[in-house]
Amino acid sequence: MTLSSEGVIGAQSPASARQGWGRFTELAGGAVGSIGITLVVVVIVGLTWVGGSFFSKGNMTIIGQAAAVPLLVGTFSGFALLAGVVDLSIGSNAGFCAVVFAYLAAHGWGGWQAAGVVLIVSLAVGTVNAVALVGFGANPIAATLGMLTVLRGLAYVVCYGSAGGIPKLIPGLYSFTNREAGPLPLIFVLVLLFVVGATVVAMRSRVGRHVRAVGGDEVAALRAGISVTRVRSAVLLLSAFGAGLGGILWEGQLGGATNLLGTGLEFQVYAALMIGGYSILRGGVGNPAGGAMGLLVVAGVTDIIDVKAVNTYYTNVIIGILLVLVVFLDRLRGGDSFE
Amino acid sequence: MAEDTLPELAQGTPTPDGPMMARPVRPAVTLRSFWGNRSRPEGTGTGIVIVGAWGALVLGSALYRSDFLSHQTLLAVTFTMAIVGVLSVGQALVAISGAILDLSVPTALILPSWAIVSLLGQGINIFLVILAALAVGGAWGLFNALIIVFGKINPIIVTLGTNFAGAAMLNILFENAQTPISSGLAKWGQGKFLGLPNIFWPMLLVVALAGYFVPRSRVGRHMIAVGGSSQAARARGISLRKTRFAVFVISGMLSGVAALLFTASDLYFIPNDGSNFLLPTLATIIVAGIALSGGAGNLWLVLLSVGFISTVTTALAFYGLSDVWQQPPPGAILMIAVSIDGYRRIRSRR
Repeated sequence: MTLSSEGVIGAQSPASARQGWGRFTELAGGAVGSIGITLVVVVIVGLTWVGGSFFSKGNMTIIGQAAAVPLLVGTFSGFALLAGVVDLSIGSNAGFCAVVFAYLAAHGWGGWQAAGVVLIVSLAVGTVNAVALVGFGANPIAATLGMLTVLRGLAYVVCYGSAGGIPKLIPGLYSFTNREAGPLPLIFVLVLLFVVGATVVAMRSRVGRHVRAVGGDEVAALRAGISVTRVRSAVLLLSAFGAGLGGILWEGQLGGATNLLGTGLEFQVYAALMIGGYSILRGGVGNPAGGAMGLLVVAGVTDIIDVKAVNTYYTNVIIGILLVLVVFLDRLRGGDSFE
Repeated sequence: MAEDTLPELAQGTPTPDGPMMARPVRPAVTLRSFWGNRSRPEGTGTGIVIVGAWGALVLGSALYRSDFLSHQTLLAVTFTMAIVGVLSVGQALVAISGAILDLSVPTALILPSWAIVSLLGQGINIFLVILAALAVGGAWGLFNALIIVFGKINPIIVTLGTNFAGAAMLNILFENAQTPISSGLAKWGQGKFLGLPNIFWPMLLVVALAGYFVPRSRVGRHMIAVGGSSQAARARGISLRKTRFAVFVISGMLSGVAALLFTASDLYFIPNDGSNFLLPTLATIIVAGIALSGGAGNLWLVLLSVGFISTVTTALAFYGLSDVWQQPPPGAILMIAVSIDGYRRIRSRR
């Protein structure tokens, strides 16, 4: 017993011991390496097929605006994956929060108050998820699929009186989301900075170590004195909070919200995160930087398909194939195999 | 779990290494041992709970609106049950065999539906169309199984990916499809037999066949064994590969059957219509007590569970809730059912 727990704790420390060239080759060969290569491939394809205009300011703005919210939502829910739980309700949650935000703003609420209420709503959703998943031990995929349906339905209910959509442009938020910082949209730059911060927290801080420990080996984490219940509940709240934040920004970008907003976002985000080295079936693997690269790959593919005016559904075909392929490569490198 | 083992103990099942059991214990006649005699079917408790909840729902709705107890309601409930019921049996086989979940239900339903409608449009004989529906459904299952077995990748991820790509391909292939109204299939789909919709009866047959043959046939017992413990099953000489192929091909062929019922009843559909069917199948098998951890479950309960869930959606209309309220309740039922499923698992582990 003591041997195994020492073994697990021991297994975590060499990562920090590796340095220099060895650490570099480890990174390049690992999940982050392969996603980096995928990203480079996407950029090369973009440059050769679309041409130099792929990196034009106009196109960068389009990519940055489209990628900002998925990147933010994905980075938050990446922590849930890291702790070994998956929250499929993020897409519906973001859409529902956007709709509630638009509804409140359209009914005379101030922007900040409405945003506060929406974030509380998103945390309430996270609490229900945490009670079901952590308290009762419900299967995460099935239970949060239930929450997905509940929230999508509630979004329909909120939009009922207004023909499926609530147009409400909030001037301050709209101009903030459309501001630029150099060649890129400001919110995209801010989200990238947030990703850097999240990576440091996940990989270098005590909190991040606890989250990864819970996802990696529940029993070992318990023996090491980490409260699995508390960590898993916290990451589910965090994931829901990220969706709430994403919903608010979305409403700001679009100047309104419809009851279909966020449909399928969860699949796109998790496919991208898995391409980026996370796993929806076992925790403790992946990191925010890799996940962000996965999301950028998806954003890049989407943009290339858009610019070339190919049927946009080809994006999903490519993401689907990429997803299975990347998980297969991960397994060849020593990931879990299913038999 | 604990409940199921109690009657056996009361009958004094000999355990080889138990000193207390050295001499046979005369069974104490209690109500439980009386009823539990001769192997009480698996999941009896779950069945009683579903029937109770179902009864309460029907009673409550009937008290609230006396016109709830009508032939019209019965028709609506049995109509809703048909397609979800057939798909749920396929989903149940996947869960029982330890492949957890098949998230590709939407594509598995629409792909053969599209084939059916295209073939009917060319005036192909209905028997050939039925064979084609089964073949296309089975081929989709085979495709998933090939990736799962040879890629050794978890079925959830494989079916997530193939459904993502498959649903998009369907949207590229066609915008909308329509069953020829003059076709025999369309006429059959609107008809009734013994006072219930025609499409209800094939579902009943599918559940009955699965409920009877899965615990008795060789391949069915292999599925249960692999789901219980793949290592133990392999040690007993069961081929994991063959079993996985069988599960996904059978499940795919069932989605072909569901596609026949779907095209017979929904004469006009679009590729994204399939996404409405994933959640009900999950809710159905989980309410039916089919463990997501695999190896356990009584397929007959699918009938009760799909009946209960279809009654919920039908009853909503009677509570004066508009169409927009149709979505949240099934989602909430799924969450609650999965929570109970999880709680049971935690309790049985203690």
